[in-house]
Amino acid sequence: MASATRDEWPLALPLAALFIVCFVAPFCVLLALSLHADAQARAFSVAQYAKFFGDTFNLSILWSTLWLAIKATLVCLLFGYPIAWVCSRAPARWQSVLVFVVVLPILTSVVVRTFAWIVILGREGVLNHALRALHVIDQPVPLLFTETGVIAVLAQVQMPLMVLPLFATLSRIDRNLGDASAALGAGAWRTFFRITLPLSTPGLVAGCILVFSACATAFVTQTLIGGARLVYMPLHIYQQAIGANNWPFAAAISVVFTIAVMIVIYALNRVGRTGKAYGDAR
Amino acid sequence: MATLASPAANVAAPPPRTQSATWDVRSQRIVFGTLTAIAIVFLIAPTIIVLLTSFTATESLRFPPQGYSLRWYKALLDADQMQAAAWNSLVVAVWTTLACVVLGTAGALGIARSASRFARIADVMFMSPLILPALAFGFAALVYIHLLGFHPSIPLLIVGHVIVCVPFVLRTTIAALAQVDPALFDASASLGAGRALTFRRVTLPLIGRGVGAGAFLAFMASFDNVPVSLFLADERTEVLPIHLWQQIDTNLDVRTAAISGVIIIVTILLMVLAERFAGLSRQLAR
Amino acid sequence: MGSHVSRRQLLAAGAGAGLYAMLPFARAQSKSLVVATFPGTWNEAHRNLLAPYFRKRTGASVTQSIQLATEQIAKLEAAKGGRPPFDVAILDEPQVFDAAKQGLIDEYPAARSPNFKDLFPVYQDKWGPKISLQVIGIGYNPNKIKTPPKSYDDLLNPAYKGRVGLTALNSQLGMAFLAELNRIKGGTETNFDPAFAALRALLPNVGAVAANLGAYATLWQQEQVDIAPYNFNFVQTLKAKGVPVEFVVPDTGLVGWTTSLHLVKNAVEPDLAVQYIDSHLAADMQSEMEKPPYDIIPTNSKVPLAGAITQTVAKTPADLAKIRGFDWTKINPQRTALIERFNREIKL
Repeated sequence: MASATRDEWPLALPLAALFIVCFVAPFCVLLALSLHADAQARAFSVAQYAKFFGDTFNLSILWSTLWLAIKATLVCLLFGYPIAWVCSRAPARWQSVLVFVVVLPILTSVVVRTFAWIVILGREGVLNHALRALHVIDQPVPLLFTETGVIAVLAQVQMPLMVLPLFATLSRIDRNLGDASAALGAGAWRTFFRITLPLSTPGLVAGCILVFSACATAFVTQTLIGGARLVYMPLHIYQQAIGANNWPFAAAISVVFTIAVMIVIYALNRVGRTGKAYGDAR
Repeated sequence: MATLASPAANVAAPPPRTQSATWDVRSQRIVFGTLTAIAIVFLIAPTIIVLLTSFTATESLRFPPQGYSLRWYKALLDADQMQAAAWNSLVVAVWTTLACVVLGTAGALGIARSASRFARIADVMFMSPLILPALAFGFAALVYIHLLGFHPSIPLLIVGHVIVCVPFVLRTTIAALAQVDPALFDASASLGAGRALTFRRVTLPLIGRGVGAGAFLAFMASFDNVPVSLFLADERTEVLPIHLWQQIDTNLDVRTAAISGVIIIVTILLMVLAERFAGLSRQLAR
Repeated sequence: MGSHVSRRQLLAAGAGAGLYAMLPFARAQSKSLVVATFPGTWNEAHRNLLAPYFRKRTGASVTQSIQLATEQIAKLEAAKGGRPPFDVAILDEPQVFDAAKQGLIDEYPAARSPNFKDLFPVYQDKWGPKISLQVIGIGYNPNKIKTPPKSYDDLLNPAYKGRVGLTALNSQLGMAFLAELNRIKGGTETNFDPAFAALRALLPNVGAVAANLGAYATLWQQEQVDIAPYNFNFVQTLKAKGVPVEFVVPDTGLVGWTTSLHLVKNAVEPDLAVQYIDSHLAADMQSEMEKPPYDIIPTNSKVPLAGAITQTVAKTPADLAKIRGFDWTKINPQRTALIERFNREIKL
């Protein structure tokens, strides 16, 4: 059976070549640049990394970025799972509509979406007005330029990345398993936690990985909603690269950031015990 | 095509046997239903608010707007720089999508049906732009370009976009390929068709919708890309998202709301088209 | 299959034509000049007044890049030796020294600039003509704050907790405010400790720190801040947009700095660049810019002071000369260290 299918791997060579020249090589160059003491000196040294790790300022930025992304991922999971679940059980026509609703935000420009939130979260914005009208609060609550605001916006902006893999996985779960579970006397919640949830793990892990990565690197959202006081890794890299023209240091920060994100993703992968990290699309 | 069980046939849970079972099912429906409803509002509200705010008659961005008018949409007609940036974005997106479709389809065909180690490694490599911080890649690309003695230009920006957008085409195409019975290729071969003919007459029609959906996603991803454009697009090759970000960060002009409204409407139209011609929702569900 | 094929052919032809139009390589277009401009009043005045004036004069269009002076210096430095990202730089007084020293700008060809000689002599700088004076004081929301503040110390009033605004230190407003605070609290141009002590005392009151002046305007417009140090003409521009804000001269007096336009070294369109700068110096252009909502202080001797400027800032050019400045040559070397120190202080 497999032998009849000709192995077509040479077709992937052009893309592989492009990636090696334009993706792998730049990262190698970045790594090399980060090992310079400063922009002029040609001597290799780990001075930049020492500078990064030696300063709690930098470490706190790294930590708050990872932690921000984790929190946003959890919020996405909390709201994204139900949507995917409802979507997978909906009749075909409604499915299209729901997918449309879920995907539209991610296709609208990230700048546009973030900008909408500025209007919503401001002191005189929609949310504060609504809360005041409902007498939940007396004074406007600061939401803009707070971490809570950033998490909320990140969750909304990246939610589709959680819903789509989950939806794909949930649709594929054999409905008979749920029926069998009910027939054996398990309640709906028990079935959910013992059958559905474990079976949806591949999609769940894929979604979490995509969302985590996107939230950690979401430059526009972090800066527009977070302001100048909430500094995360993307802004730090940008400030050092373009603002201070300190390319070796910026390179070091980029490398540290990339490795940190990879470590978390590896951990997520292990938790899910799946081999493939993304879009279990088969 | 028997892999996706038709949801409609299995939508009802088996009849509950006891009172507590009814409550069980109902409580699950309530919890999930509520969370879904909140999530949907959460997802759509900002888009609607931007749309409505863009029709404001005043100079300030308040919601609800104090008075409605089309003045800001009319102001877009004079926004030369915004139009130039939009055109740049469009050019880059079109070329990026073309390159992604050609390279991505070939890549997908190459690795989806191969069990070799090269294919596994290539798979990880091709998908990694989706996971590694795009901002780090953008900066790395800038450093690389400088090292080679170039400076930012539209062709180089296109290459950068291709790297971060091709995973979308790969994903949907590989998924579409997985749905195709390999026996069809065998049949085509045994009937004497060469590889090119098999591709044109058998493979392409079968995965066409998958490729189409991937192309659509790649196009939108390129048009909307910020992390790569931040470093590879400079003042002389301005693209729309960067221009908008600059405007929002410096002006909070209502024209930003108007262009946002245009982007939203165009996106909705494109999505409807993608749904109609490529069955977008189905492709994304694989 | 017949109709299928012909539809495909039609689509292919259409796509082919469209692609040809989109070839990213050679594209003949009308002349365009890429310039830098500041956020806020500046980019609006340049877009609404200067660009059309320039276009009428030369037929060329203007592409603006909105960035702070510090960002422009960084970008020009990064591109040194090659093609600069823009042809005209707009710099505040402090940055001019750095730009000249680092070889980023050319000496201004006054001979090719007819309006240059109309400037007051003090503004005819060989590196680039001064186009205006910017002064800072206190801006406040008269709807929320009933008694106008009198000095920068009022910002520390506990009643304003969470309502004070600041800008980041890479914006000139932020730097000037810090320098002024430093001077008031007894520091010198080499010792900024008193300023940072005052900043620390101020932090509990700070509601938001904006990355630049444009973002600052957003904060005011959305009423996120009610009181803050602010530029005179930025306040006027906001007022004209219906935002409730008033400008007050603090009892310690106004401080200011000059702003100038420069020809970038290796500019792609040097002649257009000079014409652009020259247009900004023209008497008719400067008197247009002096009107509301821009209230940009003119430097052309033929333009009398008028409007809100005479009420708040200065009645005669002699008054303008009396506005205090700073010794930027002493402060500049510490800029990077100051910015880093500031960022650490404000980080949440």
